Amino acid sequence: MLRIEKLTKTFGRTVALDGMDMHVEQGALYGFVGPNGAGKTTTIKTVIGLLAADSGRVLVSGIDVAEEPGRVMARIGYMPDTFGIYDNLKVAEYMDFFAACYGISGLKARERCRMLLEQVGLDDKADFYVEGLSRGMKQRLCLARALIHNPPLLIMDEPTAGLDPRTRYEFKEILKELCRQGKTVLISSHILPELAEICTDIGIIDQGKMVYEGSMDEILSQINVSSPLLISVAGDRRPALEILRSHPEVDTITIRDEDIMVGFRGDKRDEITLLQRLVDAEVQVYGFSRERGNLESVFMQITDHDSGEVVLRHEN
Amino acid sequence: MKINPIYRQESRGSARSFRLPLIVLGFNCVLAVAALLNMYSVIAQVRLTAELQYSSFLEMYVFVASVEFVLLLLLIPAITAGSISGERERQTLDLMLTTRVGAADIVFGKLLSGLSTVFLLIVSSFPILGLVFIYGGVTVADILLLLLCYVVTALFVGSMGIFCSAVSARSTVATVSAYCLTAAVCAGSVAVFVLSDSFTEMTSAPGSGGASWVGLLLLCNPAATFQAVLDGQLGPGYGLAAAFPWLETVLAGHGRLWWISGIVVQLLLSAAMLAGAVRSVAPRSSKKRGQRRLPPQGRNNFR
Repeated sequence: MLRIEKLTKTFGRTVALDGMDMHVEQGALYGFVGPNGAGKTTTIKTVIGLLAADSGRVLVSGIDVAEEPGRVMARIGYMPDTFGIYDNLKVAEYMDFFAACYGISGLKARERCRMLLEQVGLDDKADFYVEGLSRGMKQRLCLARALIHNPPLLIMDEPTAGLDPRTRYEFKEILKELCRQGKTVLISSHILPELAEICTDIGIIDQGKMVYEGSMDEILSQINVSSPLLISVAGDRRPALEILRSHPEVDTITIRDEDIMVGFRGDKRDEITLLQRLVDAEVQVYGFSRERGNLESVFMQITDHDSGEVVLRHEN
Repeated sequence: MKINPIYRQESRGSARSFRLPLIVLGFNCVLAVAALLNMYSVIAQVRLTAELQYSSFLEMYVFVASVEFVLLLLLIPAITAGSISGERERQTLDLMLTTRVGAADIVFGKLLSGLSTVFLLIVSSFPILGLVFIYGGVTVADILLLLLCYVVTALFVGSMGIFCSAVSARSTVATVSAYCLTAAVCAGSVAVFVLSDSFTEMTSAPGSGGASWVGLLLLCNPAATFQAVLDGQLGPGYGLAAAFPWLETVLAGHGRLWWISGIVVQLLLSAAMLAGAVRSVAPRSSKKRGQRRLPPQGRNNFR
């Protein structure tokens, strides 16, 4: 659906995008994350045709943005991090205005607006002034507005920022429903646990480059492998330590109170074998699990420039 | 026929606010007070001297028309300067640019919206200008010509306002720039002409200096065009020429040619400024900036 190839963009001496690549599959819910100033907004603005790249290509459904911006825009719904609303318009008028901006008018426009307002739960607010809506309602109205021309690709910049937990939950449900309907959604966000919950794919950008891109399942499995194994032992720990020292998959061993933290490279099968050996050696194991890693910790590791290395790499 | 969505949205917004009726009311109140005071002074003079000078009624026409002209010069920058910069401040400009609407549609929609307000002011002031018909001396054709002059002035000053709005990030900056540009065109061209004329008189032999080519600068001055229109209708010595006799020197013998040339020059300058505004608003990615062709909207199959 969306393919970005070797995209570069500079503002004066500042390099905003430095050979950026991205690939978003049809029907994916793609989380686009990166530290502030990494180039997320520049990437999005280039995709929606508001900025021209210095070099590289942006293809939406195989159409080059630089060649045919009009055709590309017809395929993209854009929802910025600001509401972009007219306070002196009513909800239905606001929708009608943007429908007219896409050349949809008359009965068709009214029908479409009604359908979308119903989908985002604002059908009873059609005659309300936009300025009277709550933040969550405004956000849902913006989502409805972005869908007015029925685009196959929806690009959202920080869509859930500043929303209360309930509204955020409702918003996520709407996004999941859109994906079920076959739409491709690209979300730029800083709320990583949320992305981990709803996204099917993720891309991490840092210093204008894509440093990690892959499916959420892939990254979560890598998180598990990179997290230490936590073994809780009652009584004498020495037999356990002997077994661990002799195990080829063990990298590090750290004692923390009654627990032993083990840097363990093995997979689930190796974990089972290790646990079996400990039990056979009559070690009194009462806890055996991987310490829970999360997307946030991976993000921190990947974008930590002091460490000088990237801990995870996407392998094709 | 499809109406420009920007124009429709702006019209809806302005029709709903108190601002437009207040502007129309204030504008016409000032004109009416000016006309009635002038009329009262003429009648008072008749009572005193038992002598009726019909030229006094023509002076009333000139006075009301001049007041309206000055009011338009003051109002148009305020009406147009915040239009595009306001969209930037609301952060709705980028949203519009990602739709089927192109930069040209946005600029012309905004201009049309501003001009429709100005036309409303002009048309609503006709009954006051029509007071002159009670005594005669001015024909309907004269009034229509004056209307044309107002329309061109509105388009020219409105284009300057739109241009300033398109290149400025903030409405305050845009408004100040629009007023400065209007002042530069109306007063600056006069200042340059007067200085140049004085310099020519000082350096050349007596009798050889007149209005130099710098006088052509006044072609882009809407006030000079307005004066040329009045000159054509009433003969020399009325309006601005009464305050600036040198203006009469410039216009002498060129009456109709001057105002036609002035209108053409101002229309060309308006076109140039609107093109600049479109260029400034257009997204940086378009190869043909200001134009964005989208395929016709297909069937909506949203479930």
